Parts: sequence; C-alpha cells; structure tokens
Amino acid sequence: MTTLPGVDRGVNGVAAEAVTPAPSPVAARTRGLRKVYRGTVAVDNVDLDVPDGAVLGMLGPNGSGKTTTIRMLLGLVTPTAGTVELLGHRLPDGAARALPAVGALVEGPGFHPFLSGRENLLRCAAAEPLLATGDVRRAVGEALERVGLADAAHRRYRGYSLGMKQRMGLAAALLIPRRLVVLDEPTNGLDPAGTREVRTVIAELHAAGTTVLVSSHLLAEVEATCTHVAVLHRGSVVAQGPLGELLDSGNDGLLVSTPDAATAVEALRDKRIPARITPDGLRADLAAVSAPEVVAALVHAGVAVHEVRRQRTGLEDLFARLTEAEANGTELSEVAGHVAMAPVEEVTR
Amino acid sequence: MTTLTADLTARPVARTHAPLGRLLRSELRLVLRRPRTLIALGLLVLVPVVTGIGIALAANGTLQGPPGADGPGAIAAILNENGLVLPIFVLFVSLQMLLPMMGAMWAADALAGEAASGSLRNLLVAPVGRVRLLAVKAFGVASAVLTGVALLTVSGVLCGLLLLGGDSMITISGTTLSFWPALGRILLMAALVTVQVLAVAAVALAISSITEHPLIVMAVALGGIIVFTVLNAIPALDWLHPLLITDSWSALVDVMRDPMPTDGLVEGVLRALCYMAIGGSLALARMLTKDG
Repeated sequence: MTTLPGVDRGVNGVAAEAVTPAPSPVAARTRGLRKVYRGTVAVDNVDLDVPDGAVLGMLGPNGSGKTTTIRMLLGLVTPTAGTVELLGHRLPDGAARALPAVGALVEGPGFHPFLSGRENLLRCAAAEPLLATGDVRRAVGEALERVGLADAAHRRYRGYSLGMKQRMGLAAALLIPRRLVVLDEPTNGLDPAGTREVRTVIAELHAAGTTVLVSSHLLAEVEATCTHVAVLHRGSVVAQGPLGELLDSGNDGLLVSTPDAATAVEALRDKRIPARITPDGLRADLAAVSAPEVVAALVHAGVAVHEVRRQRTGLEDLFARLTEAEANGTELSEVAGHVAMAPVEEVTR
Repeated sequence: MTTLTADLTARPVARTHAPLGRLLRSELRLVLRRPRTLIALGLLVLVPVVTGIGIALAANGTLQGPPGADGPGAIAAILNENGLVLPIFVLFVSLQMLLPMMGAMWAADALAGEAASGSLRNLLVAPVGRVRLLAVKAFGVASAVLTGVALLTVSGVLCGLLLLGGDSMITISGTTLSFWPALGRILLMAALVTVQVLAVAAVALAISSITEHPLIVMAVALGGIIVFTVLNAIPALDWLHPLLITDSWSALVDVMRDPMPTDGLVEGVLRALCYMAIGGSLALARMLTKDG
C-alpha cells in the first residue's frame, strides 16, 4: 500500500498553514475505519489522510465505500470501528467544533422542492454557525452568483434541472469560506460547461488554501483537478498519495520519434541505456537515467530527433490495475507497489 | 477567505452553533410556507363554516339528539341559537381524526420528510446538533398544531356568533353561561385539544425519526388512532382503556357541563403528557444514534 511519506506535502503549504489554528498537518484523518450495515461490510480498515491544503480525489467504482467514508468523515454516520479526526478534532465529540468550517455536498443535493433556490439557501445559511445573522442575505446572494444561479434564484427548486440542483448543492457548501470542502460526485448531471465551472471552483478553493476532498468516478476529472489521490475498492483504500508520485511509481519511458531508430538504439545501448524500437521510433527506459541524458546521447550520436514524449502511467490504468487486481486474486499491496505503466502520453518540451 | 482566517484566529473559540432564534424562525418559515400546511390550515378554517351553515339551514332543530345523550350528539343537540357551542363542537369533532392526522402529517414532514428529500443532511453537517435539531423540529410541529387549533377556534367562535347567534352558552347540564365564562370554556377546550394533538404529534415525531418515509408515519399514526378507538369501544377490554389516548378524547365533553367535572380532563392531560414523554424520549434516543 502506498501511504503518504510526509503529511506536509500540500502543494499550497503556506496558505494551508495560515488557516490552521492548531498544529494539524492533515485536514482529515481516519484510522481503521469500518462500517458494517446489517452484516454487509461497506467500509473496512480505511486509513485515509487528507493533507492540509490538498485537493484529494477519492476514486473508486460504484459501491466501493466512497460515500460511506465521506459520511463517517462528516459525522453523519457512526463508524462501527475506527477513528475520525476532522480539522484536528476527534469525532463525534469534536463535530460541533470542526463542522462549521466544513462545507459539504454529500449524496446529491437535498432541498425543499416548494421553496425557491434563494429560500432554500437562506435556510441552509440560517444553520451556519460561522455566519453572522446580518451577513446571511449577502452570503446567499454571493453563493448563488458564484454557481451561476442568480437569475434562477427566485424560481422554485422543483423546476430546476439536474445541473441546477447540483449547483445548489455546491452553493450550500460554499456559503461561507471553509477550511475543508467535501464534494461527493460534484459533476453529476452537469454539462461540460458546468463541469468546467466546478473545476474552476475547485481551483479557486485550492488557491485560497482550502482543502478539498472530491469523490468521483470520472478519472479525467480527478487527474485534472487533484493534487492527491486515494483509490478505494471494496471498502478499502488500495492506494493513496500525491497524484504525481502515484503516477510516477510505474516504469517511466521516453518515446522518441526518429527516422533512424536502429542507429538510435545502437547509440543508447553504447551508453548502457535500455531501449527498444517502436513503430515510429524508439522507447527508452527511464528507470536508471533522466530524460536529458537520453536526448543528449541521441544528439551526440547524430540521430535526427523529431519529437520526444514522456510516457507516463495514466490514472485510468492505475485505477484499472488497482481495482481489478482484487478480482483476479492478486495481492493489492503488491500491485500498488509496482503500479502500471501504460501509454497516456504527456509532451515534455 | 482572508476574513475567515482573521475570524478563526481572532476568536479563540469559534461559534459552534447558529443562534437558536434564527433556527426557530427558519423552521417556522419552512413549516408555514409548505403548501400542504396552508391547505390543512385553510381546511380547519372551513370546518366551522361548513358545520355552522349546515346547522343554520337545519334551523328547526332536526339535530336534536335523545335527551341525556353523551358525545357529539349531546353537543350538537343544543347548538341551535347557541352559537358559542359551535367552537367547542368543532374542536371536539376534529379531535377525533382531523387534528391528529394533521399533527401526524406535520411530524412526518419534520424529520422523515426532510430525510427523504436529503435536506436533513444539510442541517446535520452545518452543524445543527442533534438534540437542538429535534428541539427545533418539535417547535415547528407544535407551532403548526397551535396555529391550526387557534384558527379552528377563532373561526368556530366567529361562525357560531354570525351563523347561529346568541351571546351566551347553554351547557348540556341545562344551565346558561354568560359570554365571558363561555369564552373561558372555549379557550379551555382549545388548550385541552391542543395538548391531546401534541401528544399524538410527539409519538408521530418519534416514528418520523425512525423512518425516512413520511407515509409510514401517517399510516402508523392513523392506524393507531383507529385501532385505539376500536379497542376503546370494547367493554371487555376496559382494563386496557386507561392506556389508550383516545380514552381521554370522549371525556372532553365535560367542558360543556356545569359545574364542570375535572377528573376526566385532568386524567386526559396527564395521559397526554405521558405520551409526549414517551414520544419525546424515543425521538431523542433515535436522533442521537441515527445515521444521517
């Protein structure tokens, strides 16, 4: 299992520390979390770390325990076993201290159909401990503006489209500035433009030092917005850590486009760099050397290099390996140790 | 973002609860804006209107029941030209099914309804503490019940005076109460009916905290009342009757006697309080362990 080597790896470490009153290196931490529903183990032995200031993408197939974990993290569900620490407070006793600074969209938006969007948000705002009564209307107006619902605010929630309902849930989570925002499948029902907006919102939150925990089954989404990833499968965390680190844990290669691949491979083998011929050039193994060394060797040998691309492990392959491994009976820790290496290309210039 | 940073560091103890008054206002707004609440309240205003018109049309005293009869028949028998009895009559009749049903409906919406729409989660993660949440919800249900009984009573008094006439109250004991003592009896009746409906609502709120299907709450509450009424009508089960809340309801006819026997009324209030205590504790126990 890949665990976090250092907890203060948050990309926005400085900003994250600024909003942390207590020395809490992680925004949320679970240990040995377990939830059994009438004999069915929904979540088992989950040790999850959400580094302060990170955008943690929680990945997993349907029924892998993402939502149950999130619900336990928010104190909505009492764990069968294990502990939850949220913003430095142990749940359930510290819930009243921790939760005001946490915004959440869990299991889809839940609002009253007969009230307008604004009325619904006013109701949420009334329950926010950190919101002064005088600021309620302003906060609601700003939240509606932020998710692009200002024009529809007076309409009944009943008549909202799926995407608008989802935006309402997002608006409720963003009513006040938060230290941690938990978004469970935030892009459900959103069109591409809406998806992009959610991505923007997450980026804004991240830039402001807010920790974001986002669960999704859209891998591209997670790869585009997250700094950290945790992969859940059948109720357990099978891998977690910084996104780059997880992706790099596979064998990296360098794809070189060249008309005279044979010469190039010769030249590399002289320098003891393992390489093999591919249809449009060659692939050099980067296990022992760095990319510039490979390029230098080729150029010195007079090989015409048209293009050099880094071949990286894609999140999709990582995900597939991790979640399919158990089905094949393979030891999960083993797989997580040497994660896949499949062709999702990334240009390095 | 900077404002929050400043807030959190400036105040050593950040607020952990939203002001209670704000929560109660929000809940009241929600309850009183729900379309079915408005329809229910409108219905309660109409009950005395329809009853009053019906009795006024049958002005020749066709509603005369057998002398000495108890229950609604006894009250209806003396209604004509005796308008101040109308509010007591409609309160008594509505208590048998209409008001408990509405109390159960409001209780069903309060927790089960909110759980079904997912909006209960919004409150729990805000966070509103679970005990506070139950208190706020109980307040909302109680407010709706109070509003309902008040509207029914006011409408009853107005309809009675306008449609049936008379400025005093002839009791079923045959004595006459002048306007103000009569009004006192009406208010007493309204208070006693409120207590009984609140008892049903408290039990319904407990069921509401257990399920997330409002329909189940309604079904259990109404089914319970019907079963209790049937059990109450079986003389062989008289040992069971003191346990049945519906047993208190027929005793409310005592409000119309002069002098007023209080034993049955006090017993009814105590029984209702027991139901409230049981319902309240069950709801509280469930709320504290409930998965949100």
